[in-house]
Amino acid sequence: MAQKPSLLIVDDEANVALTLRMVFEREGFAVQTANSCASALKLLENGNLFDAVITDLNMEKENIGLEVARAALQLCPRPAVVLCTGYASVDNSAAALEMKVDYLATKPVDLDDLKRAVSRLMAWRRQSGRGNEQQ
Amino acid sequence: MSETVKTTKTALIVHSDMSALSAFQSAFVGKGYVTILARDLPTALLALTQHFFDVAIISSRLGEGGDGWPLAGVVHLIFPRAFVGVLAPETSVLTLQAAINNGVTQIFDAAGNAEQVVNALSAAQLGSELASTEPGTSIH
Repeated sequence: MAQKPSLLIVDDEANVALTLRMVFEREGFAVQTANSCASALKLLENGNLFDAVITDLNMEKENIGLEVARAALQLCPRPAVVLCTGYASVDNSAAALEMKVDYLATKPVDLDDLKRAVSRLMAWRRQSGRGNEQQ
Repeated sequence: MSETVKTTKTALIVHSDMSALSAFQSAFVGKGYVTILARDLPTALLALTQHFFDVAIISSRLGEGGDGWPLAGVVHLIFPRAFVGVLAPETSVLTLQAAINNGVTQIFDAAGNAEQVVNALSAAQLGSELASTEPGTSIH
């Protein structure tokens, strides 16, 4: 049986994390959640590999989700990285572009759009071998 | 036995304005690139089926010729290692979101000078890997 793709969801709002977990488990992902940047960084630094990471932007501090994205983007194989935020600004969006974040979703997130984006990124990652190269 | 290595880089330039196309063509040829020019979406899409691109510079507004953002996304899908630059009239959250979600490497000011764009691109992505062979040009 094929292994399920793995997904890390990072959000300090428990209900958001739980909803996304249910949505993506239904899409066939093995989902882990973290409720802070610090918890997410522990997971990412402890050798856990993820095919995709979806992170909120503002948690313990403003824009701290960029730290989660940065850590995820340094992994090899590199996961697809999605930022979700209700507080997108020119500065944090420009930082995300420069870091090569794969997708920026603005809240309220359209779940169908998010599912499509993650699915497309996973397919592209498989076909292009993009996950196997460092930033 | 020797191997042939592709050293010439190819740039796709998509802009509805002919004078802008010429300016970018001159700037890229000056850096040793082969340039492929397109004024609209269908021509650009056809070019994607006929060439391998290292760089694409695309205007976000192609007038009646189409929207440049989805084209940037297609280039990124087909050539994941290509540098994809988009010329945009403003840097807003929506512009940056479109760039991220279409795999764009960098946004450039649409009013900017072509030489500046090519120099910025070289500095950002290509460094010292500029092509050393004779440049050529093909206009679609």
